[in-house]
Amino acid sequence: MKNQYEPIQTSIVKIEQLSPINKLFTLKIKNKQTRNTFKFRHGQFFILSFPGFGEAPFGFCSSPTIRETFQVSIDQRGSLTSKLFKSKVGDNIGIRGPYGNGFDQKKIKNRNLVLVAGGCGLSPLRTIIQDANLHPEKFQNIQVFYGCRNPELLVFKDDYNQWNKNIEMNLTVDAPDKNWKGDIGVVTNLLTPEKISSDSVAILVGPPIMYKFVIQKLIELGLNEKDIYVSLERRMHCGIGVCQHCVLVGGKYVCTDGPLFSYAEIKDTPEGI
Amino acid sequence: MNDKQLQGLVSYLIKNKHTVYSHTDDDGKINIKKIDTGKDFTLCPKRPLYSFKKFFLPSCQKMMVFSDNETTLNRSKNEKIVLLGLHFYDLKAFTLINQVYKKDPHFQKKLRNAIIIGQSPIPAEMEDYQKFEKEVLEHLKFDIFLEAKSHGKQESFRIFTGSEDGQRLLDDFGYRDYENIEYKGPVPKKGLGPINSMLIEKIRKSRGSEIWKELDKKCTNCGKCTIVCPTCFCFKIKDEIKKDEILRSREWDSCFYDEFSEIAGGHKFLNTTEKRIYNYYDHKFVRIPEEYTMPGCVSCGRCTEVCPAGIDIREVLRRIIEEN
Ligand code: FES
Repeated sequence: MKNQYEPIQTSIVKIEQLSPINKLFTLKIKNKQTRNTFKFRHGQFFILSFPGFGEAPFGFCSSPTIRETFQVSIDQRGSLTSKLFKSKVGDNIGIRGPYGNGFDQKKIKNRNLVLVAGGCGLSPLRTIIQDANLHPEKFQNIQVFYGCRNPELLVFKDDYNQWNKNIEMNLTVDAPDKNWKGDIGVVTNLLTPEKISSDSVAILVGPPIMYKFVIQKLIELGLNEKDIYVSLERRMHCGIGVCQHCVLVGGKYVCTDGPLFSYAEIKDTPEGI
Repeated sequence: MNDKQLQGLVSYLIKNKHTVYSHTDDDGKINIKKIDTGKDFTLCPKRPLYSFKKFFLPSCQKMMVFSDNETTLNRSKNEKIVLLGLHFYDLKAFTLINQVYKKDPHFQKKLRNAIIIGQSPIPAEMEDYQKFEKEVLEHLKFDIFLEAKSHGKQESFRIFTGSEDGQRLLDDFGYRDYENIEYKGPVPKKGLGPINSMLIEKIRKSRGSEIWKELDKKCTNCGKCTIVCPTCFCFKIKDEIKKDEILRSREWDSCFYDEFSEIAGGHKFLNTTEKRIYNYYDHKFVRIPEEYTMPGCVSCGRCTEVCPAGIDIREVLRRIIEEN
């Protein structure tokens, strides 16, 4: 019987600093056979661990179509991530997964896709952005609305020009510096009837406070509650629906039923958002 | 099977390198203990405060060790154990946990090395037991089941087997007067049944109501109920840095503990006693029934016995049913 908790060994093949608090790690599964069979879908996550520092869940952030390696972009937040920030190319990292329900691409067939991100919330959405850049034929129109505290904290800055070819990028920050050319203020301000068609599908990744306002705005713009997806963060230990840490009281688990939920699914769950 | 034969069976098991555990009455305190001899052994009809859960889900399950870039999974041999005398509700709890941990290698390995011998409930506690005994037994996981024919003195038992292991064991021991009950899976045909279905609805409806506010003031978040509960199976995964190696294990956790729902940055989703105690009931009476088609409470009464605040689960349920 396979041990579900056994980490798959990967090695770090590249580390890039994306912002003062965020690094992008490119990981390669060491065992060739495992690497060839390892597959994930948009919206899924994995559990990363470092012996002695425990485990924590992270979203994938590279296109699922890239199979040799995968990437994860991580904010330094606690002891595990601090340990990771000290690691070097060639170091080993254990992972397990993929976990989560993923995002069914059928849901956005022939639909306009609105991606709303706050802070490092852009990272998990990059699976879609990168996929759309590599395979534009798979997607309809994609619009990204991305807000950050200041320009320094934006992740994947160097890629926006390239992304802009296939995707509409809209950026805003709270506190601009003197070179800032984008918008100023909260991301909600960018969501206007001129920009967003009411039959769009939206995916939101960012802090819960952002969700409240963005959801309200999107509903005002005529989006269906079923078409607004939010990514929820919870404490996780098992990733397979047993340990109960990630529960949304009332019947759902973020690790197996999520982490993406439609607003219609969770709006009646107190503490859901 | 009479008392003497049961003692013979216990001796036989011990002789054949099984470690036998059963519960004993030590001046009113019921403990689970290793049985060293079959001589004078009698089944204890009272239930132990701590259930048999720890034999399958130890409070700390070593999972793997890391040393010099090597990960070594814990493949240590499990001793062959016999758990003797589990009551109906502990068998029910075990049947549930076996469902939840169906794919768990640690649990399943322990299970493979264990012989489970149940005993019939005390008739006074379960008056209608006789009526549906077979229908009940075929949905419980056990190897052997001893049904006390005349309770009190326990001088004779009707014997059922619930697995090939159980049959083989009795055959080898030389006892053939048993009836085999085929395990039909954990869920009876009728599914959850009306009472449990009704509870799902009532608990959902009761959220935010007065009773939870009252319990918020009473409950001390000590987590004792989760420790004695035979169905509580929450855990956390923990790393420990030892001298030459790092140990990763799975430890019992309690949804009443402060950091249970805490995420990086410090936010806690279960941040009030009201939310925690509601979550506890939600798990037992809503989530488990919906996920496994079995109730998450087996009515053993241990949580009530151990609660320092005097919370009686039957009373809570009675009020939820009445008030909603
Ligand atoms: S992480 Fe354990 S139940 Fe979701």
